[in-house]
Amino acid sequence: MKQRLPLFICLVVGLLMVIQFYIPHPVSVGFNSIINKWVVILSAFALVLGIGNLVSHHISKIKKAKADRWYSLVTLISMTLMALVGLVFGIGPDSLYQKIFLNILTPLGATMFALLAYYMASAAYRAFRVRNIEASILLASAFVVMLGFMPIGQFLHPYFPQVAEWIMRVPNMASQRGILFGVAFGSIATALKIILGIERSWLGSGK
Amino acid sequence: MKWFEIVSRIDRRIIYSLLTIFVIIPFFLKIKIPQNIMPQTERLFKFIEGIPPNDKAVMLSIDYTPQTMPECHPMAIALLRHCFKKGIPVLGVSFDPQAPGLAVVAFNTVVDEFNRQAGSRSDSLIYGRDYVYLGWKSGRVAALIEMGEGITGVFPKDYFDNATDTLTLLKRIVNYKDIALVVVLAAGDYPQEWILYAQTRYGVKIGAGLTAVMAPKYYPFLQTGQFSGMMSGMKGAAEYENLLVRYGYATETGKAEMAMNSQTLVHLLIIFLIVIGNIGYLATRKESVKRLNG
Repeated sequence: MKQRLPLFICLVVGLLMVIQFYIPHPVSVGFNSIINKWVVILSAFALVLGIGNLVSHHISKIKKAKADRWYSLVTLISMTLMALVGLVFGIGPDSLYQKIFLNILTPLGATMFALLAYYMASAAYRAFRVRNIEASILLASAFVVMLGFMPIGQFLHPYFPQVAEWIMRVPNMASQRGILFGVAFGSIATALKIILGIERSWLGSGK
Repeated sequence: MKWFEIVSRIDRRIIYSLLTIFVIIPFFLKIKIPQNIMPQTERLFKFIEGIPPNDKAVMLSIDYTPQTMPECHPMAIALLRHCFKKGIPVLGVSFDPQAPGLAVVAFNTVVDEFNRQAGSRSDSLIYGRDYVYLGWKSGRVAALIEMGEGITGVFPKDYFDNATDTLTLLKRIVNYKDIALVVVLAAGDYPQEWILYAQTRYGVKIGAGLTAVMAPKYYPFLQTGQFSGMMSGMKGAAEYENLLVRYGYATETGKAEMAMNSQTLVHLLIIFLIVIGNIGYLATRKESVKRLNG
């Protein structure tokens, strides 16, 4: 019963949600609307669960006095402070919350991402070598795309932007479409397995 | 050490220093490299150009984070300038929890810019009448579908805690039928979800502004017409800024155009490094073959 009831609910709701997609009747639309509102509310609860999980994970790290416990402490203090600042002083455009976000979190985030440019430049120099035919093709297409997408590319040769665009529109698109189809078929198969009760890992271990 | 060994083993500190210099230099020099406009950027621009003023709204799904702000923020600014200059109402929405702080900045920047030049209240941009920022909502997919039935049902209150059903704009913009175009500005899978759930079911038109890394994934959607246009990375933003100048909506380009100079120099540096690295590699290989034979 402990497993059968959730499986039954999943089967019924899953099938109903599939069927309603093809029936634009007011009853079907109303049902879809109610379910969607529930999902929005349930997602908000998932956020609370996420916060709970984060707090318990970091508290256990602090308790065990691990070497990187200070980072956990910073995470917990920052999270609590930001939440308090937002709740007490509001989140408007001139609020303290917005000032902290724009002057601390935004530059930190941008800096972390900007560091990638250094690693990419260094890695490209070391790894992009014409060792075999495949590597040479990759190198040549990377060159053309980079030059074609640069404003200066058109001055080096007027065909650079066109060839770069062709690479993106034809070989790139063909491979991307293949990946998309693969992912879509995989998603359909997984969804059917869950609805029909073949895939049951979402029920947990049952303990 | 021979020359080819030197060029194939450049110290990473030298590469890092060169990169830093190449990023900084263009900010002090007034270099103007003309942009060639990519067809997908022009398509997005022309789509918005074709929307009649004071009719349907453009919805901006602002889902970029501080990490991707340098690429996507200039896109948001350029799109807002275009819509407001044309008198198209704008609805802002976010599904990434880090995005609202940046969305508010984008709206404020453009609204302040317009209102400084406005002669009267009717020329000014007024919150609730000309634009609304709805804020962040959890349960992205469900919210996307539900907005097809009614926007105020999903967002009973906006980001600034106003009841949305009291706002003038949201009295006439009810659901996707009143939205001419949704432009998704993001680095993740957000645009695909808009296509899967909002477009397939409600037929809403979708455009996108994506980071350069994400853009290649979305070319199939451009070819099928599921995307009504796309801006790709900093270059896409710079192209849009150039189109605004070309069509007389702005007198000068913005930050993306300036940043493109840095990006161009860095790309040239990377190309140069790859070339000399390969010259060194090939010369080393030739030398080892010679040694083996000799």
